[in-house]
Amino acid sequence: MSDLKQTLKEQIIEQLNLEDLTPADIQDDAPLFGEGLGLDSIDALEFIVLLEQNYGIKIADPSEGKDIFQSVNSLAEYIEKNNKT
Amino acid sequence: MSEIFMTYGTMITPLGNSTEANFDAMLKNKSGVKFIDNSGFNQENWPLGRISSLPSEERYNTLLKRACHNLIEVHGRDLFSNKQTLVIISSTKADINALPKDTFASTRTILKEELELKNKIVVISNACISGVIAINTAADYLNHSDYEKVVVIGIDALSDFIVYGFQSLFALSNEPSKPFDKNRKGICIGEACGVVILSKEKINDAFHVNYLGGSSSNDANHISGPSRTGEGLFRSVNKTMNRATITSDQIDFISAHGTGTNYNDEMESIAFDRLGLINTPLNSLKGYFGHTLGAAGLIEVISTMKMMEHNILLKSIGFEETGTTRAINVLKESKEQEVTTILKTASGFGGGNASLLLKKCP
Amino acid sequence: MKLVASIYISPKGVFLNNELQFSLTEENWKKEIYSKLEIDYSKFHKMDALSKMAFLSTETLSNAVNTNKYDDNGMVLLFANASSSQDTDLKYINSYEVKGSPSPSLFVYTLPNILTGELAIRHKWYGENCFYIEEKFDAEFYLEQINFYFSKGAKACLCGWVNSFDGKEECFEFLIENEGNDNKELIKEELIKLYNQ
Repeated sequence: MSDLKQTLKEQIIEQLNLEDLTPADIQDDAPLFGEGLGLDSIDALEFIVLLEQNYGIKIADPSEGKDIFQSVNSLAEYIEKNNKT
Repeated sequence: MSEIFMTYGTMITPLGNSTEANFDAMLKNKSGVKFIDNSGFNQENWPLGRISSLPSEERYNTLLKRACHNLIEVHGRDLFSNKQTLVIISSTKADINALPKDTFASTRTILKEELELKNKIVVISNACISGVIAINTAADYLNHSDYEKVVVIGIDALSDFIVYGFQSLFALSNEPSKPFDKNRKGICIGEACGVVILSKEKINDAFHVNYLGGSSSNDANHISGPSRTGEGLFRSVNKTMNRATITSDQIDFISAHGTGTNYNDEMESIAFDRLGLINTPLNSLKGYFGHTLGAAGLIEVISTMKMMEHNILLKSIGFEETGTTRAINVLKESKEQEVTTILKTASGFGGGNASLLLKKCP
Repeated sequence: MKLVASIYISPKGVFLNNELQFSLTEENWKKEIYSKLEIDYSKFHKMDALSKMAFLSTETLSNAVNTNKYDDNGMVLLFANASSSQDTDLKYINSYEVKGSPSPSLFVYTLPNILTGELAIRHKWYGENCFYIEEKFDAEFYLEQINFYFSKGAKACLCGWVNSFDGKEECFEFLIENEGNDNKELIKEELIKLYNQ
């Protein structure tokens, strides 16, 4: 799980073009949206691409992502449950 | 501020190759939006306002040359090759296929050659409000410089770049767009070129309107989502009414932006309510042409001038049932009515909002 | 009108009113400025190069002079460049041609005027904005536009020339106030001098 979280952080930085940041800048339980990383609804769409391309998980309706994309922890948990690759 | 006149230049859309051809089709409530096979990413099919006669390569440059040809045919060469004429271009992406080279280089070259321009070309690229800002800037030039005439050209062509982008934002509608309607699903992208000519005196016998004033305002809220309170649009229209010394009860009609997305149309309804314009008849012309980005402001102003000329308010295609929290007066049917003073608004990415007021010449 | 202040940033350093504030050494020179200014604004990291440069220049300018003394409609943002958003355009094209899916977060930055939106959000400026594409820096053109907006009641114009293309990055900003009676020709000469130094 901690490997997955580290990989996820690298993928988030790559997918969202956050070239200023390193995985160490992202806390496992910190909110990704709003204050935390300052992400917004457009970035949520990037998470949909990320999940589909890297884990074969398809989210059809962007509003479904709200709970899943809360933090690196919640993302990792969801991937563990639904990973199809 | 001196009196400023505005008349038709030309208009090229999926509905026609001239201002007249377009208005004839609009009177019949025709829509230029059609499903195009493989138009999206992953070979998805989207409804788009595509001009079928443009070649798949060089769409933009061909469209621009066609507009130049029309302008010379209607107005003659001298109007453009004159030292007292300025040209302003409104476009978001210009010739996107020129990348990595300058995407606006071909615009300058084509205009200089085709219209034999004598002055520098002003290029305004301010997302979807470019067209309205360009007309406002044209009026500024007439008010504060020696130019006698300013030609404003709004143009954008379809490209994978744009369609894939709006697709990635989940902003595209999978059916012809339905601005302000309860069942609206998003935007249909289109392509067009629209041209108006502003001047200190009437330039011919054709229909002219007076430009009364205009402005822009930023939402200061989000770069891609509209303000939930319609703040920027509210401020811009207020500023425009003050500049034009017009009050909301004097406005006969609003040519709204109305993209067909949930958030945009809702935002506009809130702003119009706050402005005391909730009962003023309005339409969105996106149902006729799709959203043509840098050309939208121009083709919508030209269409609205035609409506003023003929005293007819065209219905908002795609609108059936109120779908915004404020029950604004979206036209379900076209109707004949005296149209004297109109408000044009636009909103776009970057948080921009712009507006202008026009009045029929006495 | 009055030229209040100017700022120039590039990988060479940060110059306020033509005086070097600090030079830069790191490859990620924009992040270096961000760190030196001790700003906490997480949205910065998501911005494209144009927005980052305009953001950092405006932060530096706002530290040096009061940019919030005008009413919130009074500040006009007039920006221009020669290369539009070409840099981000190419990255976005790469996202669907090479990486396999069009990137929405890159797409929203494929419009040059997004940077004025970022400044408006940061500083709560609701005034007028316009973005022009010009072949080269033209001081006369800015002064012409400034005159238009001052005659419509603007209190100040924050103007910028910001380019990011082919590895070359620079941002030049200047603030002009609608107070004072400085000679327009002298301001023009001063701007040309400031930009070229």
